[in-house]
Amino acid sequence: MPKSQNVCPKEAFKPSKIKFKDIPVNQYKSDIKAEIKAHGKDGLKKMLYDMMIIREFETMLNSIKVQGSYQGMEYNHPGPAHLSIGQEAAAVGQAAALGVEDFIFGSHRSHGEILAKTFSAINQLNDDELNNIMTSFMDGNILNVVKDGDSKDVKDLAENFILYGTLAEIFARQNGINKGLGGSMHAFFIPFGSMPNNALVGGSADISVGSALYKRINKKPGIVIGNIGDASMGCGPVWEGLMFAAMDQYRTLWNNDLGGSPPVMINVFNNHYGMGGQTQGETMGYDMLARIGAGVNPEQMHAERVNGYNPLAVADATNRKKEILLSGKGPVFMDTVTYRISGHSPSDASSYRTKEEIEAWEKADCIASYKKYLIDNDIITDAEIEDMQTKVIGKITTAMKLAIDEDISKYSDPKLIADLMFSNQKVEKFDNREPEVLLPMEENPRVKQLKRKERFGFDAKGKAISKNKVYQYRDAIFEAMMHRFYTDPTMIAYGEENRDWGGAFACYRGLTESIPYHRLFNSPISEGAIVGTAVGYALSGGRAVVELMYCDFMGRAGDEIFNQMSKWQSMSAGILKMPLTLRVSVGNKYGAQHSQDWSAMVAHIPGLKVYYPATPYDAKGMLNAALAGTDPVVFFESQKTYDFSEQFEKGGVPEGYYEIEEGQPIVRKEGSDITILTLGPVLYSGMQAAEELAQKGLSAEVIDLRFVNPLNYDIIVESVKKTGKVILVSDACERGSALHNIANNITTLAFDYLDAPPVVIGAKNEISPAAEMEKDYFPQVSWIIDAIHERILPIEGHQVSHNYTRGELSRLYRAGI
Amino acid sequence: MATEVLMPRQGQSVESCIILEWRVKEGDKVNEGDAICEVETDKATFEVEATATGTILGIFYPDGEDVEVLKVIAAIGEEGENIDDLRPADNDSSAEQEDTSATDVVETAQADTSITAPTIQAKTDGIGASPRAKTLANAKGISLNAISGTGPEGRVIERDVQNALVSGAPLTPAAQALMANGNLNAPAVGSGLAGRVLASDLSTASPSDAQISVPTLADIDVPVKGVRKLIAERMKASLSQTAQLTLNASADARQILAYRKECKNSAEALALSGITINDIVMYATVQTLKRYPELNAHFLGDTIRQFGAINLGFAVDTPKGLLVPNIKNAQAMSLKELSMAAKSLATSAIDGSIEPDALSGGTFTITNLGSMGIESFTPVLNAPEVAILGVCTITPRPVMNGSDVEFVPHMGLSLTFDHAAADGAPAGRFLKDVVDSLAHFNLTLAG
Repeated sequence: MPKSQNVCPKEAFKPSKIKFKDIPVNQYKSDIKAEIKAHGKDGLKKMLYDMMIIREFETMLNSIKVQGSYQGMEYNHPGPAHLSIGQEAAAVGQAAALGVEDFIFGSHRSHGEILAKTFSAINQLNDDELNNIMTSFMDGNILNVVKDGDSKDVKDLAENFILYGTLAEIFARQNGINKGLGGSMHAFFIPFGSMPNNALVGGSADISVGSALYKRINKKPGIVIGNIGDASMGCGPVWEGLMFAAMDQYRTLWNNDLGGSPPVMINVFNNHYGMGGQTQGETMGYDMLARIGAGVNPEQMHAERVNGYNPLAVADATNRKKEILLSGKGPVFMDTVTYRISGHSPSDASSYRTKEEIEAWEKADCIASYKKYLIDNDIITDAEIEDMQTKVIGKITTAMKLAIDEDISKYSDPKLIADLMFSNQKVEKFDNREPEVLLPMEENPRVKQLKRKERFGFDAKGKAISKNKVYQYRDAIFEAMMHRFYTDPTMIAYGEENRDWGGAFACYRGLTESIPYHRLFNSPISEGAIVGTAVGYALSGGRAVVELMYCDFMGRAGDEIFNQMSKWQSMSAGILKMPLTLRVSVGNKYGAQHSQDWSAMVAHIPGLKVYYPATPYDAKGMLNAALAGTDPVVFFESQKTYDFSEQFEKGGVPEGYYEIEEGQPIVRKEGSDITILTLGPVLYSGMQAAEELAQKGLSAEVIDLRFVNPLNYDIIVESVKKTGKVILVSDACERGSALHNIANNITTLAFDYLDAPPVVIGAKNEISPAAEMEKDYFPQVSWIIDAIHERILPIEGHQVSHNYTRGELSRLYRAGI
Repeated sequence: MATEVLMPRQGQSVESCIILEWRVKEGDKVNEGDAICEVETDKATFEVEATATGTILGIFYPDGEDVEVLKVIAAIGEEGENIDDLRPADNDSSAEQEDTSATDVVETAQADTSITAPTIQAKTDGIGASPRAKTLANAKGISLNAISGTGPEGRVIERDVQNALVSGAPLTPAAQALMANGNLNAPAVGSGLAGRVLASDLSTASPSDAQISVPTLADIDVPVKGVRKLIAERMKASLSQTAQLTLNASADARQILAYRKECKNSAEALALSGITINDIVMYATVQTLKRYPELNAHFLGDTIRQFGAINLGFAVDTPKGLLVPNIKNAQAMSLKELSMAAKSLATSAIDGSIEPDALSGGTFTITNLGSMGIESFTPVLNAPEVAILGVCTITPRPVMNGSDVEFVPHMGLSLTFDHAAADGAPAGRFLKDVVDSLAHFNLTLAG
C-alpha cells in the first residue's frame, strides 16, 4: 500500500450496502436506418461476405477432416481443426467495429476471428499500405503464390493472400503466415491486428491485458480484446488477468497523462460448451456469464450480454465499449452469446447434446438470418448473394488448391525451428523516446549511497569488509535495473512488493525515487498474471522485468512460464520477440514451500534461457545481458547470496556497464585432480570443499556454471579431460536436478577420460525442513567430500558423515526418496 | 607436555631425510619404540621410532617431504594437549588448520555412531576399470587384469594404473607394444621373470579383428625422486665441477683367475671360498694405493686432502639405485678380511639396513661392470674423491710370445681421475702398478 493512500478503520467498518447496477442483456434493437448510417450498405453487405468466407473456410476444413476431400480435391490433414461454424456473426461483428490498430487475441477456435479481423483491416487499408505489407511479409513468399491469380484488385489480392497464408499455416507449410510453426491453434497476422491465438484455455486473457498495458504505457493507439471461451472462466489465470486489468492504481496512482486503465476488453464468445461440459447449468454457476463483471470492480467492468448471432448487435456493443476503453475507464467484460453448431473437433460425436438442440440453433443460424435481414431491408438481392457464394467457393477452392500443392507450398522445414528458438539479439531500447524517470540517475539516493561502498569484498590485507560498507549482490541487481530503466523507455518492472517496499529483498530499494509508477509497480499476488501480462507486454514490443518472490511460486505461473513465455518466439516463426526477464528469488529457511531451487523445471522447457549468478559481479553482468537481449530469461537469484560481497573479481564490481558472455561457465579455482561444478550459491561450499581437499592432498578445480541454458561445455569438458573426475552440486533436490543432464552430457562428451561416473549431489529428495534443520537437507561441504570419497576417489583416512554408497542410492530410489 | 619426535641425524654427513611413509596418523596411540615412519637419506632407509608412549598429536610433514635433520616431525602426548610450541617454524600448518582438524575429529566422532567408515581396500573382484584407467592402460600397454583397484568398491582407477607404471610394468616392452596395438589379452601372470608377461603370453582377443601393423612402443614417464634424484644431482655435479678424464689399460688375468680358482676350491675351514675377482682387484688396488697418496685424496678446492687411511668405496647396485659403501681402513686388511667386509656391506646396502656412516667418508672408489661384459668405460668420479677405478670384463687378448701369438685372458681397467688434483703421469703410473700387481698377484700377496 502506498503511503499516499490511507487505510482507515472508520471507513472500513462503516455500515452500508454494495449496490449493483443493471447489467444489460441482449438489449440491442435493430434499426436499419441507424445501421446503414453506421456501416453503409456496402458495409452491411461486407459483413455478410466475411461471414460467408469464414463459413466456407471452415466447411472446407470440416469436409477435409470428415470426408478427406473438398470440391473434388483429396487431402489428409492430420492436425487439429477446432471449428466455429455458427459463431461467424460474433467474430465479424466484433471486427467490423475495430480499426487496424486494434488488437484481438484469441483461442484454439479462432480461424473465424483471424479471417474476420484481417478482412476488416484489408477493407480499411489503402492499396499502397496493403502492397507494402504483402511485399515485405516473409520476403513476399505468400504474395508470390497468390499474385498471379485472377484477383480483380489489391483488396481482392489481399484477401487471397490471407486465405492462402492462413490455410498454408494450418497445413504446416513454409508459406503459412507463421511458416507453418504455429498451426491451426496459434496462427496470427500482426499487420492486420490479429494477435497470437492460444491453445491453452483462457491463455489469451492475461496476455491481452499485458498487450493493453503496452499500449497504455507506450501511448500506442487502439484497444486490445482478449477473446476467450465461456469455459475459460473456470481458469485461475483468467481471473488473475481480470484482477490485473482492474487495478485501481491505473487511475489513482499513475500519471493522468497516460490515460487511465489499460484499454482491454475480455470478450467471451459464449458458445455454452467447454468441449462437452455445459458451462451454464452444469460446470459453473454464474447463470449468465455477464454477471461476473459485477464482481470485479464498481464499474462492473461495463459488463453486458450481447446477441452474438447478430453481427450488428456485436458491432454496436464493441463500438460502445471501445469508446469506454479509449477514455481509460476499462476494463470491459463482454458476454457474446453464440453457439457452435460444429463439434468441438471433428472427433466430437456431440453425445452431450440433443439433435433437437442443434437443429434449433441451425434454424436460428446467424448467416441465414442475417441474409434474410438484408434482403428484407432491400440491402441485397438473392442474385447478389448467389454471386457472393460463387465467389467465396472459388476463393476457398483456389486457396486450398495452392495450399495442398507440394510444389508451391512446401511443408515447413523442421530444421528451421532450431534457429527460431531464440532471437539472440541485442536491443538497447525498443523505442527512441526519452525514458520517463523522476530524477537524474546521479541524484538517486541509493546511487549516492553505493558510491561510498567498497566494491570488492576484502581490503588490501585480505580482511573481509563489513556488510555495512561493502557492495552486495542486491546492489548489483539494482544497478543493472537502473541502467536499463534509464536506457530503454519501454522497460517496465513489476511483481509483489516491487515499489515502496523495494522488493522483498531490497534489490529495488531506491528505484521508487527514480522510476514513475507506470514503469515500476506492485501487482496483485497473481503469479500467473504477473508472467502472463509480461508475455503480452513483451510480444507487443516492450521490455518487461517481472519477479516471483519465491521460486516455489513458479508453480502458480506454470502455464505462463512453460507454454507462453517460452514458446511464442518459435511458434511465431520469429515474428515475435520475447524481451522478458523473469527474476526468480530462490528461498531458504522458510520450510517446504519457500525453499526450493526449481532450475530443473525451466531447464526442461525448450525456449527458455536460464541464468543463475552466484556473485555480485555476475549478478550485474548477467542481468545486464538479460536486459539487453530479446529472449525470455529465467533469472535465478539465491536469497543466501543477496548480502554477499564480491569475492572473486579482484577489481570489484565495476561501476560502469558490462555484460557476462551468455552460456559461459567460469573457472573459480584451478586444480588438477577433480572438477567441482556448482550452480548458484553452492559455489561457496564448493570453494570450501576445494580447500579441505587440498589438505588431503587433492587439487580441486571449481567451476561456477552460471548458466543452465544455453551452456558452453568447452570449459567443462576441458577440465574433466584434465581431472577425469567430476562432481556436480546445486541446492536443488537431487532427483531430476538439471545437473543430471549436464552430468550425462559430460559422460557423452568425455567418456574415455572419466575415472568415475560424474556424480550429482543436491538437496535430499524430501521436503525442505525448518531453518534449524537445513544443514541436514541442503548439500554441505562435507557431503561433497563424502560423495567424492564414496563414488569417485576413496580418500585415505576419510571419515564420512553422509551416506553416498551405491546401496543407499538404490534404497532411497526404491523408497521413492 | 607433549614429547617431540625429531628427524634423526643419520650419520655425520646427512643434512636431511625424505619421509617415505607415515605408519601412523594423527590420533593413533603408540608405544615408545614403535616405528612411526620410514625415512630415506640419499644413501639408505631408516625407521623413526616413537620417543614416548601416548597419542600422535601432530604430524608436521607429509609423506614425500624432505626434512632437515633434527627438526620436529611429530608430537606425542595426551589427547587435547597444545602442541603449538613443538610445531616447527617452517611448517605451513597454522593455528587455523589446527582448529579445523579439531572440528574434524568431533564430526568424525559423531559420524562414527551412525555410519561405519569405509576403508580403502584393493579388491580383485572389483567393479571393473574406469574408462580413464582403461585409456591409460591401453596407451601404456598395461594389462588391467594384473592391477588391483583402489577406487570405489575396488574399481581400477587412474591412480592404480599410474602406480602400476611406477612400480614396474608386468609386461615386457615387446608385450606392451603388442598390447598397445590392441586386440590382445594379457594373463594376470606371465611366464617371464617374476611373472612378467612376455609377448608370447598374449592371446588374441578376437582373431577376426586382429590387425597387422607396426607396433608402437609406449613411453613411460618415471618421476625423478629419492635416491635417483640424488644420484642425478651428484653425477652432474661431478661432471661439471671436476676435470676428470679416463685412462684405460688391461692386466694379464692368468694369476688372479688361478688364485680365485684355488680359493674357491680351498677347504671350507679356511673360509676363503667366498673371495671374488672383485675382492682380489680391491686388494691389489689398496696395496698399490698405499704408494700413491695423491690419488687417495679429496679435492676440496683450496686444498687437496690426502688421507692416511684408505676407506675403499665400492659401487653396489641396489633396488633403490646405486649405493657406494666404503670399507674403512682397508689398508690394514688382509684379502680375506677385505672380502668379508665387502660382502657384509654389500648385503646391508641391498636390503637397506646399511649404517649411514658406511656410506660416507670414502677416499677412493672401485666400480665393477665386468660381470656385464663391459670391456672399457669412463667411470664418473665420486667427488670429491680424486680417482675411481673401473673394473671391466676379462677377455682373451693376443699377446706376442716370441714369434707366436698367444691368447691370454686380460682384465680391462679404466681409471678416471681429477686432473685438477693429479697429473696424468702419476695417474698413469698408478694404473700401470695396479696392472702389474694383478698380473703378478702372487707377489702382491706377499705384501
